[in-house]
Parts: sequence; structure tokens; C-alpha cells
Amino acid sequence: MTNWNLYSRGDKFFAIVVSVLIGMFTVATLYPFIYIAAVSFSSGFAAQAGKVVLTPIDMTVEAYKYILVDPEFWISYRNTFIYTIGGTAVSMLFIIPAAYALSRPQLMGRRFFNLFIAFTMWFNAGLIPFYLNMRDLNLLDSMFGIILAFAINAFNIILLRNFFEAIPQSFEEAARMDGANDFQVLWKVFIPLSKPAIATITLFCIVARWNGFFWAMVLLQSQEKIPLQVFLRHTIAKLSDDDEFAITQLDAAYSAETVTAAIIVCSIIPVLLVYPWIQKYFEKGILLGGVKE
Amino acid sequence: MSSVTLSDVEKYYGPLRVVHGINLEIESQEFVVLVGPSGCGKSTTLRMIAGLEEISAGTVAVDEKVMNRVAPKDRDVAMVFQNYALYPHLKVFENIAFGLRIRKEPKEHIDKTVREVSEILGLTPYLDRRPAELSGGQRQRVAMGRAIVRHPKVFLFDEPLSNLDAQLRTQMRAEIKRLHKRLGVTSVYVTHDQVEAMTLADRIVVMNDGNIEQVGTPMELFTNPANQFVAGFIGSPPMNQFEGTVSANADGLFASVGNASIALPEVNNVQHGQAVIVGIRPEHISIHPVDGLPSIPIALDLVEPLGSEALLHASIDNQPLIIKAETHGDIEHLNSVSELYAPTDLIKVFDKDTGAVINSHPTGRIAS
Amino acid sequence: MSTATDKQPLPARRPKRSLKDRTTWLSDHIRNEWRLYLMLLPTIIWFIVFLYKPMYGLQIAFKDYSIFKGVAKSPWIGWEHFQALFSNDQFLRAVSNTIKISALNLLFGFPAPIILALMFNEVLHAGYKRAAQTIVYLPHFISSVIIAGIVITAFSPSVGIVNTVLGWFGFDSVYFLTKPEWFRPIFVGTGIWQEAGFGSIVFLAAIAGVNPSLYESAVVDGASRWQMMWKITLPSILPTIIIMLIIRIGNIMEVSFELIILLYQPATYETADVVNTFVFRQGLQSGQYDFAAAAGLFNAVVAFVLVMFANTLSRRYSRTSLW
Repeated sequence: MTNWNLYSRGDKFFAIVVSVLIGMFTVATLYPFIYIAAVSFSSGFAAQAGKVVLTPIDMTVEAYKYILVDPEFWISYRNTFIYTIGGTAVSMLFIIPAAYALSRPQLMGRRFFNLFIAFTMWFNAGLIPFYLNMRDLNLLDSMFGIILAFAINAFNIILLRNFFEAIPQSFEEAARMDGANDFQVLWKVFIPLSKPAIATITLFCIVARWNGFFWAMVLLQSQEKIPLQVFLRHTIAKLSDDDEFAITQLDAAYSAETVTAAIIVCSIIPVLLVYPWIQKYFEKGILLGGVKE
Repeated sequence: MSSVTLSDVEKYYGPLRVVHGINLEIESQEFVVLVGPSGCGKSTTLRMIAGLEEISAGTVAVDEKVMNRVAPKDRDVAMVFQNYALYPHLKVFENIAFGLRIRKEPKEHIDKTVREVSEILGLTPYLDRRPAELSGGQRQRVAMGRAIVRHPKVFLFDEPLSNLDAQLRTQMRAEIKRLHKRLGVTSVYVTHDQVEAMTLADRIVVMNDGNIEQVGTPMELFTNPANQFVAGFIGSPPMNQFEGTVSANADGLFASVGNASIALPEVNNVQHGQAVIVGIRPEHISIHPVDGLPSIPIALDLVEPLGSEALLHASIDNQPLIIKAETHGDIEHLNSVSELYAPTDLIKVFDKDTGAVINSHPTGRIAS
Repeated sequence: MSTATDKQPLPARRPKRSLKDRTTWLSDHIRNEWRLYLMLLPTIIWFIVFLYKPMYGLQIAFKDYSIFKGVAKSPWIGWEHFQALFSNDQFLRAVSNTIKISALNLLFGFPAPIILALMFNEVLHAGYKRAAQTIVYLPHFISSVIIAGIVITAFSPSVGIVNTVLGWFGFDSVYFLTKPEWFRPIFVGTGIWQEAGFGSIVFLAAIAGVNPSLYESAVVDGASRWQMMWKITLPSILPTIIIMLIIRIGNIMEVSFELIILLYQPATYETADVVNTFVFRQGLQSGQYDFAAAAGLFNAVVAFVLVMFANTLSRRYSRTSLW
């Protein structure tokens, strides 16, 4: 069907135009990252003068030095790892058993529980009641609070539930007749059979945790508890508000912009490292739940 | 060695009743096949024996012990599923050992039993493979191995051969029969394929619409179908059935089917002019003149050669019928067939309203 | 259970189960299945504590909330906050901005992934296609803080590449992020840059589901690729397009306010401030919890109605609900 040699001249022209357009969009997607990387390795003076377009000007690593000697950067980096790993683990502990239970036809009140969970996707109390609730629970400025309060989202449960529901009933029945109880059916049969789905949801959790920013900013006050994204935000805000910094560093090796760019690069690198794995699963994952938003 | 007893077993899905109160006594070591069209309740019945479906009313007992409230794992029954339900992430050995591991049997015992079972099933060379690396027949054997390994009181089979191609099905059918002879475990087998039922069963249970139509040995069902449904289900091709009207003359009873007249066997309880269904098996019809039988004119439609036999599609008074005739290596002579002879003693007469057989043989066991 | 065997015709309907039967059934059920309920329990408790309890807390929208008295004991004041809201210019502006930004997103952001998917489908070279897809999906996984950082840097008046390029053509440098008229184009454009690639996955999957024999018969009929795209691919994925559109309409009130908080400044509130950022400022920054909760409740109720409406539409359209 898609054989180049069978293409008419018009088809060939069309295919080439499309490939070029795709190429342009791809470059446009990629360019900001290249640009940021270039800025991060440029001297503050070159950056200020607006000379950086594609490659570093007056190549230097001063901006990185500025960031990497800051202990707060490392603390926030460590915190992000704690939130990501701890948060994802806690999420899975909640989500997997719940999705399994909800997928079993013998569960009484199954429709009610499904609705109970799905309802939170449609109606949300909003920022203020959530915040006041966290305060009442004494979970303000608490790392545990961040890990627990964002452990579950209804969409992930429904995604995994759908996957479990698609596993033929006979797998559970065979295991049951062999004497397995629900814990064993889940652990020995359903989890091994659902590796792709679980990997997908794990990755969704990891990405959400790694990128989580808003509630960490609102709920955490202590400097030693904030994750990387909040540190990044603080730093960007500090640098761009701080005119003095910009002016006094005009001829220096780094500037507000190059430092910002350097932090951005530092926080993107882990995402790029796991991206190949993410990519392996997320396309499947998107389609697991039918439609995602 | 265990018996299974179903008493007035009913199954409802919501208000819908799918099994209508069936009674069945399965003796120890017996191989019983539940057969019927899809939706007849045969699988549901099997699953109630397994404990996978709740029993809405009535009782299921194994060795006289009522099982209604016993969990599947405690019923000591094993089941072979239609899709085998082999765990793709486990090797053949672990698939077979799964039940024993769950029951925390000692390791040496598991090892010994699994090896014995795989020896019986010819699976020893494949113990280290995963299900995806096996052929359909091998997977089927693993599924049976998983059932055998626990030495259950009863084997349940839920259409285990329907995922195999025709040739493999024949082969596995023979293997299942051999295995049953060897192990002698009471078995209940569900299928929609009457050939499978005929070849495997000690006794066949024909089900339709949630009811048992007839229970009997394969030959009983073949020679003495209790009603039109069984006659039309068992045999391949099934029994021919025509509508006719009873008449009597000096030579005996006849049924008029259009212009043709078919000689009927001795039947007590029919009246002159009564509408009946006349049944005759394709293989019992003769296309050569038989002494004392009237010839019945037919319109031949087409001839399907099968090899040593051929199927003749024809009609009497626009009612279709199939004749199985010997070819003797040539079908030319069959193209000119224009009449048939129906041996009187092999003809079945059914009540047109109830479908029940009128000239039933005393040995036929008929369920309620 | 009765085992009477007299042969009476069986009732067509299930006989009513006695209380004793039901109790027996229930105790068997719990004995056999308690593990399932145990597995579900932590999640149910979590939902109650973290999502349903705040719904109870929503009552402060109708109360004169005091931190010291707490949610339950603060006095009721009826619709006062809502009256204040609807005479508050900033709030009305936020509602209007929310709708305007969503409308722009719908107009430009919605077709982008569809066009992209249609184009990907026409790329013949598998390696090229794969590489391009890998790259265009990437921005979806980048946090909004970084996205904002990139935008701020790229549009900065001194350093920014945008102004650098404008300079080549003789334009004066513009401080885009302080210009109200530039906020929405930048915000919507950023959204397209970040999500168009990822959004195309759903449509690519729909395209992959099109029966290949449709194309084969079109080839035999002499159709061009361009014609096939319009006459086969697009109609085939129309159901997916409509479902996605319905979802978008259902989510009109949900503008990604995280990114707005990171990008807006007092100078651009005029065009950038949406309901959620308004709630954030009034509630979390200024401490007017009850007033902000009322604004949030308004937003949530409108969003809920829209989502229900969208779900009804999609049920009618596709017979499969979205959840």
C-alpha cells in the first residue's frame, strides 16, 4: 500500500511536503531546548547582549558552578527523589489493590464504589477547601503530607481497573480452583499479567511527582523540604526580580538568564534519561483507558 | 472415586432463569458429557459444580456431601478451561505446579508429582518452556496437567478442544479418553460438538434451554432419541424429520407425506389422521429396492461425495432430507437416484405437538 | 435450602429469597471475599479524607469563615460571598478570561494534534517518523516550571531569542510578558508547542485502526494520497475527533493555571487572570478563604455541569461513556 515506487508524481510531492512540514515542527519543538542549553553554556555578557542563537557564545560553565555549589540545589534535588520514589511507591500500594478489587464482578457495591471514585474526576472541591483540609490534618509543611495527599488519582485507578477487567475471567477462576485467595490471585497472576499497564501507571506517577510544583509551593514552607521544581521557581523569580544581580553581573561570566538556563538543564537531564523507557510504555498507556484527558 | 449428584439445580441471572431445575446422577469413574447448543445452560451447570457460579436453588453434591456453600478450592475438583488459562509468565513446570505451590505442598512432593504428570502427558521435554513457545496441543496438555496434578475427585472440562484445529481435536480427543481410562477419575465434560460427545462419553446429557432433554449412552441416544430435539442434535448429519399424517390399511400403519407414503412401525397410541413427525437417519435409508418396502419418490437436489460415502440432498414433498449412500468408488450412479426405501423398524415417530417420541424403546432413559 | 422434589411447574421468575437465605449468602460472601474489601478500604478512606472531606469544607463559601472557629462553627451568611463575587470586576474579568483562553485553545490547540497525526500518517520513512514522534512527545513530560523558565528566557527583552530575531528585521525589542495583548497568544502557543505532539497519539491510534483494505481498494480505484487522507482517514477518525472535542468542551473551565501563575504578572492580569488564579490569589495569598472558596465553588459547579453535559453527549454519540 505505502510503496514509494507505486506513488504517482503528485503523491510523491505530497509526501515530501508533509515530511518537510513534520521536520519543521520537530525542529521547532526541539529548538527551545537547544537554545536553553546554549544559553546555559554562554557567558553572562554574551547572553545579555542577545547573541546566543544556536550554540554557546564564549563557552563557559560558570552558570553551572553557581548552581552546583548551592547546597539548597542539592537538597531540593534529593527531596525530589524522595517525593518521586516514595510517592510512586505509596501510589502503587493504594492503586493496585483497589483497581483489582474494583475489577472483580463479585465485589458488592461495585457500581457505587466506581462512581464514588470517578465522581472526583468531575467535581472537585477546589484549592481552598483542599488547603484548609490539609491544615486541619496538620499536613502543612510536611513531606509525608505531600507524599500521601497526592498518592491517588481516579484516572490511574480506572486505567488499571480497565486493564484488569480485560484479563479473561478464567485466569482468576483457574487460580481460585487451585486454592489461591485474592491476595495470591493478584500477586501471582494479575500483577505479572499486567506488567505493561503497571509500568505505564508507574511512569505516569513518576512524571507527575517529578514535575509536581503547585502544591509543593503552597504547602511547604521549609527550605529543606522543597522539591527541585519549587527551588527552580524561587531561583527564577529571585533572579528575574533582582535587577541588581543583572546589572552588577553584566560583565561577569554568568547572568540571571544563564543561571536559570543551567538550572533548567539540570532538572531536565533526569527526565531525558528515563524518557526512552517512558516512551516505550506511555503510548500503550494512553490507549489503555480508551480516551485520556 | 467420587460421584456427583445434581438435585433440582436452578440458576438465575437476575430474573432470568438459565438452568431450570435439573437432576443428574453421575457415578464414580464415569465420563459424562453435557452437550447442547450454545446458551443451553451446560457451561453454567459445569461452573456450578466447580463452585464458580452460585447455585440459585437445589443442591450439588460430591460423594453425597452438599457443596453449595463450599468454596471452589475446597471442593477438590479441577477444571480445564476453554482458553486453558495458562499463566504466560510461568514456565510449564510452574504452571503445572501452581496449585501445589499455593497449597504449600513440600517441595520434593511437588517436584515428584509434576514430573510424573508431565511424563504421563509427554510434556517432560517442555517443562522449561513458557506457554507462548508451545503448540496448541501442548498447551492443552499443560492445562490438563494442571488439573491432574492435584489428584482431584472430579475433573471438569469446559469445551477444552474448541480452540484446536480439526485434526488436533481428533487426536486430543483420543488422548483425553485414554487418560480417563488410565486415571479413572469421574469427569464432566462440556461441549457443543456432538461428535466429541459421542466419542468421549460413557453417558451423554443432552441439554436445551436450561433443561435436560435426554440422558443416555451414546448408542442409546443414537438409536432411541427421546424427542425431536435429541434426534436433530445427535448424529451427523442428524436425523431427517418430515411432517406426515397417519393412516392405516391392511398392511399396517403409514404416514402420508405429500404423495408419498412411508410405512411406520407398530405404534400403539396414534390415531388415524393424526399429524406426526416421521424421523429416519440418513444412514438407515436405502436407495436400492428392499423386499416388502414401498418405494418413496424423491427429488434429488445435489450429491456431495465424501469418499467411501456420499451425501444426497433431496426432498420429499418439498421437505428436505439427506441420504447417506455408499459410493463404491463412483458417484455417477447416485445422480440418477429418484426413490428411496425406509426400513420400517428404524423409523421414529414423534408427537407433532410435544416433540416426544411415540415409539420409544423401553431401554431409553428419559429425563423429566 | 429446600430440597423438595415434587414436580411442580417451576416459576418463571426467581422466587424471593428469604431473609435467612440472604443472611447465609452474605456471611458466605464475607467469609470468601473479605480480602477484596480489605484491598479497597485504604483507597476509600483516602478518597474520604482527601477529596470528600474538602467537599464538606466547601460550606465556608456560605459562611463567615474564621480560622479559629473552624469550618463547622463559623456562622452562616448565605449568599453574601456570591453577591460580592458578581459585583467584583476582577472576578468577572477572570470568568471572561477563562472562557476566552479556553476558546483560543479550542480554536488553535484542538486541530493541531489532528493535523499532526494526519501528517505523521503520510510520512513513509519509518525511522524518520519514529524520531520525529519521539521529539514532539517530549515537551509533554517537562514540568510547567521549566516550560515557564524557557518561555521567560526566550521572550526576555535583553537575552531572548525572540527579540534577537526581531532585531534582525529591524524591530524594536518588546518586553512581551508585560504586554497584556501578548499574553494569550504566548500562552496558547506554548500549549500547542507542549501538547500537540502528545495529543496526536490518540488520533494516530485511531488511524492505525482504520481497515487497510479501505486504502487498498482506493489505490485500485486510482485515488491519490491526498484524496485518501480526506476521503478515508479523516472520516474514519471522525468519531475520535468528536469524542475528544466533547471532552475539551467539558473542560472549558480547566485552564492550566499552574502555567499562568508562573507566567503572569500584575501588568498582564487584565488578560491572564483566570478563575483559578483569582482563587489562588484571593485565598492562598490574601487569606480570604471564604470568599475565594465561593469563587472556586462557582468554577467547580460550572465545570461539573459542563462535564455532565459532555458525557451525555458522548454517550449519545458513541454509546460508550468516557468513564
